[in-house]
Amino acid sequence: MRVLGIVGAPDETVATLAEQFVEEFAAEGPTAHVTNLESSPADGAVPDRRGKSADATYGLSEDGHWTATGRERRVAEVLDDLAPDYEYVVLEGFPDATVPGIVVGDVEYAGEVLGTGSSTEDFDVSEVAADLRETEPYETLESLVDRIKGAEQAEQAGAIATFTGRVRAKEDADDEPTTFLEFEKYEGVAEQKMADISEELADRDGVIEVLLHHRSGVIEYGEDIVFVVVLAGHREEAFETVRDGINRLKDEVPIFKKEVTTDEEFWVHDRE
Amino acid sequence: MQWKLFANLAETVGDRNVTVDVEDGATVGDALDALLAAHPTLEDDVLDEDGDLYDHIQLLHNGTNPFAEGDGLETPVAADDELALFPPVSGG
Repeated sequence: MRVLGIVGAPDETVATLAEQFVEEFAAEGPTAHVTNLESSPADGAVPDRRGKSADATYGLSEDGHWTATGRERRVAEVLDDLAPDYEYVVLEGFPDATVPGIVVGDVEYAGEVLGTGSSTEDFDVSEVAADLRETEPYETLESLVDRIKGAEQAEQAGAIATFTGRVRAKEDADDEPTTFLEFEKYEGVAEQKMADISEELADRDGVIEVLLHHRSGVIEYGEDIVFVVVLAGHREEAFETVRDGINRLKDEVPIFKKEVTTDEEFWVHDRE
Repeated sequence: MQWKLFANLAETVGDRNVTVDVEDGATVGDALDALLAAHPTLEDDVLDEDGDLYDHIQLLHNGTNPFAEGDGLETPVAADDELALFPPVSGG
């Protein structure tokens, strides 16, 4: 899944651009459109039930159409939910999102900026879409597990083993807590190396498919960093391959980790 | 040709990408010499007291290791090749 943020003003321009991108992406695959109800309570938007007694409301019709409202939902949670089922998300009106995006007018945007302008004519939709496809996909453990279940030989698979690496605050109880890690990747070579490792592991007897994914950039305490997902005939080869997958990734793939604690920052290889 | 530097090596030089010019028929070793001549502060990070690359420093030539799959520092390079120099990897 890839997520394109669209932020800025006026709201009408942002909304028109959002529609154009939804149309562009929907021609290729399932596409979701998430709007910010604070900034664009447009006609026909999901009815706002905040303040009502239910914590979540879903409206479903017989043909499968649905609307939903609720409380306590953050952008990251929504994206994690959408990741297994959608190829694209157009995320309208969230300037703090750290996904790639375009900016209309003079607005600070937290993610990588793929284009700026003041009117819809300033944006080449297909060019921005092409640039977005070059960015790192938004993956979660669930999106990878979902994908591997669709493998061609999945009917011979009785096991899925997964490994998730996440940002730990402390190695020992009295350590200074880690605030975030920042990962630098050798673009192109890192992906090729991970593809080679996946392919070699998948050649093992009883192993059907292996997916490796490593996030880059800033990853905060508690967030996931890396996933290894193995589809295999039986549990023993699944466990063994998931262990070898993360070990080989850590030994061989050109990715570099900087640790930022409450006190200092340092490159992790300098401390090992 | 283009050198790509990572982690503390990029910080030492102040840039992730360094272009160096070498003669026709040049080798990986010549390109490394040109890089270190342009950025002498990098020597402390990558060369041991005998002037050899530290064992923990990795060098890639177009994504492959010339010490494993080529003639090491004698591997010939072309003008549009990409070379990379980095410390021990630390992903995950």
